[in-house]
Amino acid sequence: MIHNRLSVFRAERGLSRKDLAEAVGVNPQTIGYLERGDYAPSVELALKLAALFEVPVEQLFSLKPFAPLALSLRDQES
Amino acid sequence: MFIRTKTHPFGRQFSTGTVRILLIGLYTLYPLGCILQLVPMSSGEGVVSSLVGLGLVVASLVIVTVLAGSSLQRQTQEPEAVLDERELGERNRAAFQAHSVFSGIVLIGVLYMMLTTDMAANDKLHLWRPSTGAHWNAIFGGLILLSFTLPGAIIAFGKSKAEID
Repeated sequence: MIHNRLSVFRAERGLSRKDLAEAVGVNPQTIGYLERGDYAPSVELALKLAALFEVPVEQLFSLKPFAPLALSLRDQES
Repeated sequence: MFIRTKTHPFGRQFSTGTVRILLIGLYTLYPLGCILQLVPMSSGEGVVSSLVGLGLVVASLVIVTVLAGSSLQRQTQEPEAVLDERELGERNRAAFQAHSVFSGIVLIGVLYMMLTTDMAANDKLHLWRPSTGAHWNAIFGGLILLSFTLPGAIIAFGKSKAEID
């Protein structure tokens, strides 16, 4: 399974699923599948999404679960 | 077969549960309607059951028309260029499975015909076989409906609970 932070990045940018889908050329349902982890994207789609959010692809997708956001922030502060 | 309308160019969005109910209705009503309609014709009685059978067949055709305008049917019928990678992947898997299921059904039908013909020729056992044009029309009609709807049915029934929710 491929884990992702797609919903976090999308919320941060204030994008709807439809907006994001149009930006990367997929069906809005596919964004839902990706966010739930029900679908592993192709390399091309993963790179398109990473480029859109201007982050390295490994910050958006990972084979291991991402640490919770609150925990990451606490670690940064300490 | 996908019916595109001006108001729903990408097909009507039905929930997976609704599509499943429609498909179960189609796969139940059509054979039941054919049996009710054709059995009395061969025995020369039962006008009421024949009419009820006709009604069930018409109802199954209405279901096909509804399904033909759905987004699920769009996914199975649209050209590759207008589907995204997830839709194409699902469609390809469904088409492969539908081919296997359809081939299996045809094979079982052919084997049944072969065995019943053989047994009838040897005067061992007389099982039902299609004998009139109406019988064959019902069988071919059913196979056509099945070939139209089977890939979509495989997608609809293949979705996990999480995907449906």
